[in-house]
Amino acid sequence: MDTIFQGFISAFYLMAAFDPTLLQIIWLSLKVSGAALLLATLLGLPVGALLALKRLPWRGLILSVVNTGMGLPPVVVGLFVYLLFSRSGPMGFLELLYTPGAMIIAQFILAFPIVTSLSHTAIVNVNPIIRQAARVLGANPLQEALTIIREARYGIMTGGIAGLGRVTAEVGAVLMVGGNIAGYTRVMTTTIALETDKGEFALAIALGIILLGLSLMINVTLRAIQRWGRASSGVVLWD
Amino acid sequence: MKIIVDIKKRLGSGKRVFGLEAAFSSDKDVVVLFGPSGAGKTLTLQAIAGLVTPDAGRIVVGNRVLFDSSRRIRVPARRRDVGYVFQEYALFPHLSVARNISFGLKHGWSWRLPLQERLRLEEVLEIFELTRVQDSLPRDLSGGQRQRVGLARALIRRPKLLLLDEPFSALDALLRAKMRQELLRIKERFTIPVMLITHDPEDVAALAETLVVYDHGRVRQIMADTQEFAPEQLAVSLSSLIPAPSL
Repeated sequence: MDTIFQGFISAFYLMAAFDPTLLQIIWLSLKVSGAALLLATLLGLPVGALLALKRLPWRGLILSVVNTGMGLPPVVVGLFVYLLFSRSGPMGFLELLYTPGAMIIAQFILAFPIVTSLSHTAIVNVNPIIRQAARVLGANPLQEALTIIREARYGIMTGGIAGLGRVTAEVGAVLMVGGNIAGYTRVMTTTIALETDKGEFALAIALGIILLGLSLMINVTLRAIQRWGRASSGVVLWD
Repeated sequence: MKIIVDIKKRLGSGKRVFGLEAAFSSDKDVVVLFGPSGAGKTLTLQAIAGLVTPDAGRIVVGNRVLFDSSRRIRVPARRRDVGYVFQEYALFPHLSVARNISFGLKHGWSWRLPLQERLRLEEVLEIFELTRVQDSLPRDLSGGQRQRVGLARALIRRPKLLLLDEPFSALDALLRAKMRQELLRIKERFTIPVMLITHDPEDVAALAETLVVYDHGRVRQIMADTQEFAPEQLAVSLSSLIPAPSL
């Protein structure tokens, strides 16, 4: 009991003092997860839109694969990325293993199916009459797609936020491909795991609190986006 | 303006098949498609606008062939110069009134319009009495205002033909009478022929110059004598058309 109490006290000291190690770990977490999400959106949104708007062959199969990807176990992704970038692996020459680069790639693989799938759902759910309206108003196929994507933007943002939630919370993949090197590849979740192992609870507790706070912020934002989207959509077409 | 429609289209599969075979032509300014729901009126309008491709046939508006299956002509919807006002208007819910209306003028990514088109937008906003609500979203408009946005959005592109799918069905009776008059004024002002769908005999009496009567995917009759369009007269003329249901 005493150690837990001591841990909390020290944790608050660390946070109150803006401990440089603490800040460095948080900053790296945000950078890695942010970059992974950016990549996942740059690729996932167009793929989701294509699946939603074009009658592609194999569409059903691709969607099933993507939806399965939403539940990928992070350690399996970690293993896969590890094999890919290990010294003897096919991408070994890039020497990315145990760098933030490898961590970004692993988290990108985790976020991509979520962003793709939720973008697809959001775009499919836009009333088809919107597409017809754009078409008779002279939109070419690209403008037509952009109009529909714009109407789906709140759903797409939900996908981005959900992806961010997933990657900031996962530990398995970044631990395996990042190696948890102090000051270089140590992020919030991996630090919590390591410090707990060492019996040094102060930093772990501080990071736990911050991680929970971050999760809370992500969820509050998500709800706000959804409420906001509902408030300004649809009504005209279906009332 | 001469309008020729002669199309065939089958929809669905198995037991639930709908077949449309519609042929009519008119050189009047207001063509009314009249008939019960599910008779194929909207499908006809969609075919003229290019939203649906008929299996066979021909569509000519003015001197332009928009569709001809035998000559393999199919002008894409965006190049048909046809204005379409959807049932319930289908306004873009996240765009302001001004952006809804200028949607069809937009070129590329930006919302900035060249001076001439900006003036055109202002003019149209004024004609449709929408200047004061130009920054509002569709959900904040009244039914009549929404309809005017739908009309303005279609007309700002100077189409050669205006198609309206049940334009008055979402309005209450008072507003309906007013909007009929407004539609006639717009038709004069923009010198544009109009084709509209209705099942309201009042619309027929007030607007029709050519009446095309639909039933079960077929055109039952084409009437061009406005004498026959008075509501009580219409009931008489149509009673012979719609056969009593066989039991």
